[in-house]
Amino acid sequence: MSNIGWQRRRTSLNPSGSPISPWLHIDLALILSCLALGITGIFMVYSATRGSDPTLYDRSYMSRHTLFVVVGGLSMLVAAAIPYRRLRDLVPILFWGSSLLLLLVLTPLGVERNGTRAWFEFGQFQLQPSEFCKVAFIFALASYLERFNGNLGQKEILNALFLTAVPLGLILLETDVGSALVFVAITMGMLLVAGAQTRHIFFMTLSGIVGIVVIWSTGLLQDYQRDRLTSFLDPASSQTEAAYQQTQAQIAIGSGGLRGQGFGEGQQTRGEFVPEQHTDFLFSVVGEELGFIGAIVILGLFGIIIWRCWRTAKKAADLLGSLICVGVLTMVVFQMFQSVGMTLGIMPITGIPLPFVSYGGSSSLSSFVAVGLVLNVHMRRYEVVR
Amino acid sequence: MALWSESTNRRRSHDRSRRLRLGILGAVAISLFIPLVARLWYLQILKETEFIERVEDNTTETIIERAPRGRILDVNGRILVNNRQSIVVTIDKEEMSTVRSSDLDDLFFDLAREISVSGKLTKVAQIEAAYESERYGPFAKVPVVVDITKELQVYLAEFSYKWPGVGTTVITVRDYPYGTLAAHLLGYVGSLSEDEIAQVENAEKTYLSNDEIGKAGIELFYENALRGTPGRKTVVVDKFNNILDTIEEVPARAGSDVQLTIDIDYQALAEKYLKDGLDIARQQPTKFEEEGVVIFNAPAGAMVVMNPQDGSVLALASYPTYDPELFVSGISQDEFDNLIDPGNSLPLLNRTIQGTYPPGSTFKPFTAYAALDTGLIGSRGILGVTSLYLDEGVFTIPTCEGGTCEFQNAGALPNGEVDLRLALTYSSDVYFYNLATHFDILPGFDLESPQKAARYFGFGTPSGITLANENGGRIPTPDSRREAYRQNPDAFLTDKWLTGDTLNTSIGQGDVLATPLQIANAYAALVNGGTLFAPNLGLRTLDPVTGESEVEFQSRITRELYLPDAFTQPINEGLAGVTTWRRSDNGQEGTAYTAFLNFPHEEWPVSGKTGTSEKQSTGQLIADYGLFVGWGPNPDPEYVVVVVLEEAGFGGAVAAPVVRRYFEQIAYGIVPRYLSRAEADEVARQQANQSQESSSDLEAISETTTMTSGVSYE
Repeated sequence: MSNIGWQRRRTSLNPSGSPISPWLHIDLALILSCLALGITGIFMVYSATRGSDPTLYDRSYMSRHTLFVVVGGLSMLVAAAIPYRRLRDLVPILFWGSSLLLLLVLTPLGVERNGTRAWFEFGQFQLQPSEFCKVAFIFALASYLERFNGNLGQKEILNALFLTAVPLGLILLETDVGSALVFVAITMGMLLVAGAQTRHIFFMTLSGIVGIVVIWSTGLLQDYQRDRLTSFLDPASSQTEAAYQQTQAQIAIGSGGLRGQGFGEGQQTRGEFVPEQHTDFLFSVVGEELGFIGAIVILGLFGIIIWRCWRTAKKAADLLGSLICVGVLTMVVFQMFQSVGMTLGIMPITGIPLPFVSYGGSSSLSSFVAVGLVLNVHMRRYEVVR
Repeated sequence: MALWSESTNRRRSHDRSRRLRLGILGAVAISLFIPLVARLWYLQILKETEFIERVEDNTTETIIERAPRGRILDVNGRILVNNRQSIVVTIDKEEMSTVRSSDLDDLFFDLAREISVSGKLTKVAQIEAAYESERYGPFAKVPVVVDITKELQVYLAEFSYKWPGVGTTVITVRDYPYGTLAAHLLGYVGSLSEDEIAQVENAEKTYLSNDEIGKAGIELFYENALRGTPGRKTVVVDKFNNILDTIEEVPARAGSDVQLTIDIDYQALAEKYLKDGLDIARQQPTKFEEEGVVIFNAPAGAMVVMNPQDGSVLALASYPTYDPELFVSGISQDEFDNLIDPGNSLPLLNRTIQGTYPPGSTFKPFTAYAALDTGLIGSRGILGVTSLYLDEGVFTIPTCEGGTCEFQNAGALPNGEVDLRLALTYSSDVYFYNLATHFDILPGFDLESPQKAARYFGFGTPSGITLANENGGRIPTPDSRREAYRQNPDAFLTDKWLTGDTLNTSIGQGDVLATPLQIANAYAALVNGGTLFAPNLGLRTLDPVTGESEVEFQSRITRELYLPDAFTQPINEGLAGVTTWRRSDNGQEGTAYTAFLNFPHEEWPVSGKTGTSEKQSTGQLIADYGLFVGWGPNPDPEYVVVVVLEEAGFGGAVAAPVVRRYFEQIAYGIVPRYLSRAEADEVARQQANQSQESSSDLEAISETTTMTSGVSYE
């Protein structure tokens, strides 16, 4: 390896031509996977929302979602550009700021949809602070856990749990069970990698189970919430809207077969038989119109994203970077599994969008920003820490 | 475990630990894909076909469009049964299932009051009964009241929050422009019963579970022609049942119109005169006899008018009648029970084809035919056609083995010396007793000859008229007597057929039963030269759109009878005498001579036969049934008319005048035009206008001879 080779690679982004310059280490596979999912999402959202009148197809959802994907892609690059170690200084503001938004959404400023009070409304756009809080939380928890360099005692774990409890509690007050579970998954994943001791992990799992049992047996949940959580076990016997939704989603997916009905050809989608088919249940459109092959491709793209996050976590220059990647990885895996699993009828219904694909500005933006952070870590994996 | 514990080289240990922990995380992440892929495989590869079918269930819907039923027209094309739109109040059973019964009662009460206020008198019980009818499933919208006003419909829709579960819908129902006229023969429609659902399962014209079907009369007999072919539209729908595409469309096709041989003016006249005949018969004073009191109740009767030349039926009147509108608004159980109550003389019974009567003396020409045919009257028999036989009013069976041995004429009145011709004219029972006795006792003759002749002329079996549920009547024989005795020994003295039974049979008494239509049909064959028809009510079916003829119904001949002039001549002469013969010396006259006095016999020759039959009854005495058969104009009659009046007295006195009045109208060509309700309303309106212009016109109105259903006849 001679220096000449490197010098030819001088660019505006890397004027010095340094071999450790971040822009030489962009993870193209990760970017392309996310964009591929985003673009597929645009088509699927169009199919799910255009309506049934061929002379008057509704393109408004598609246009808005395209905007979200474009803005998301740009945000991803922004999130990757500023070195994450420098970004850490902003973490307290981001984390407490977004937590404050979670508090505000509970006031009359927020709006309620499907029994969940999780949105601010600005004209035709809605903002879901819990989505942004996820990213801020990952960063915050990572920067807290990094300090102990793998030695987590009881006190540190409790502090970490307290940190989690702030957004988690607020989100539970919104009765957004799905998002709350994402926080739990992120915390567990990050604590595992940050070095929590086996007995602590065991104890947390146990108290989690006890907590679920307690919540279930005391009347904290509304009946419809219980239905949503249990109807997947036996949808045929249940007359609830949730069971209907899940049954219809499975009919749509099943009828897709190997090759799918083709883009825009899904009768089930066209007839709008699956409620929320453009957001949380978007995977039913994928299943019906793109078939088994299409669904596997989508899952494969998620697989690539997860693999790249995992690889970055392993190669990160420091524990902070690694933990950020772990947080994002857990978030994406859990959301994907939950969202796809509920359309397939193997998971209870908790309103979680499919990252990058489902319609929704907040969700798209936060997913892209989260991946931007992973890119950020990836690009700077050769930089010497301090 | 050892890896996680404290070690001397912390840093390396932590690195290794983190790798392991990342490994675990990665493994968990990857493992989550397994159930997703497995489930996708299950749903999309293994169960694909099942789900494709379910998508089809979801997204395609077949819409059945009901087709209007064909109309029923009279011979001149006037509409007897039509269709009209009716606004119906419905109650949603599904929505009501959660409502407390006391609230439901309140709702019914309010609804009944509201509908009554709007002008259609409605009882709460009526709504309740309709609502609780077993005919509707738990999710049905049950029609409870029909024919509400447009205003009420608007009101109910506007204040729908006050009327939970109450809705309105428009249905097509049968309309009867002439009211009760010809109700029996037209019949009615009703919702499919369980049995009928099974019957029509494979019908060419699909039925839905709450479709209507012909239940009686023409509606039943011509169901296949009248029923429309439902349209079928297969569409793609979305979740909200909005129609997205139409895949297939078969338009509904209205049922064919059925044109009848009935002439509505003749039908109206028959119904009117039948009713008048009964009214007049009822005015006869009660008779006090040794056996008891005889009251002329005259509760019921029947009248048949047919054309003997082709077997077509012009009028079928049965009294009492009923209002077919009852079946339109969903007849209540009480109302229906009234229609089938013997105490009300069974208004639903079509007496012309379902009422069976002892034909009495109207049977004699067929016994005469038996005597001529077997030669009992003739060279090898006991009498010549013109041989005189002394009728002393009483006849004693020479070889009496038991039972009644002495038989007599009505009132034991002697007719003197009669031949076959006069025996028919005077209706001499004794003459026929003599014939019957010889059938029984004379070697070489068959005692069942009168029965054989009767069956030859169509008695004892349904005539085959194009109406359902026709009764075949009864012709008794020694065999049937044995069988009847076996089943009900109390009703008979012995299981043996006695000579007396043959005597009774020969004059249409005893166990002989016939429907008015059978009598008319037998006489039609007798007077048309020997063609026994299966009477026709249907003329043809018409295309409902173009009005063109689809199927023309031809005359149906049951059999050609052996009827040489040698037989018909004496019989016809005798029967012509019934209405015209009077001996100037002693005043002996045909049994209907008085009834046809001053009839225009020259221009419109009429023959006939009276009958007075005893209805067998247990317990109290009841008045005789009066019958008359008349036909004209001879020699090629176009009309055979049978009138039967129950418990009304002598046929010549009560039944013959009915036929006389009827024939008079025809002979003088003054059968009035019968107006439909709409036409009658129009006439009444015009008359009202005229009377406003000039009060002197009032007299002119009272002289108007148009007959209407609403306005009185004369």
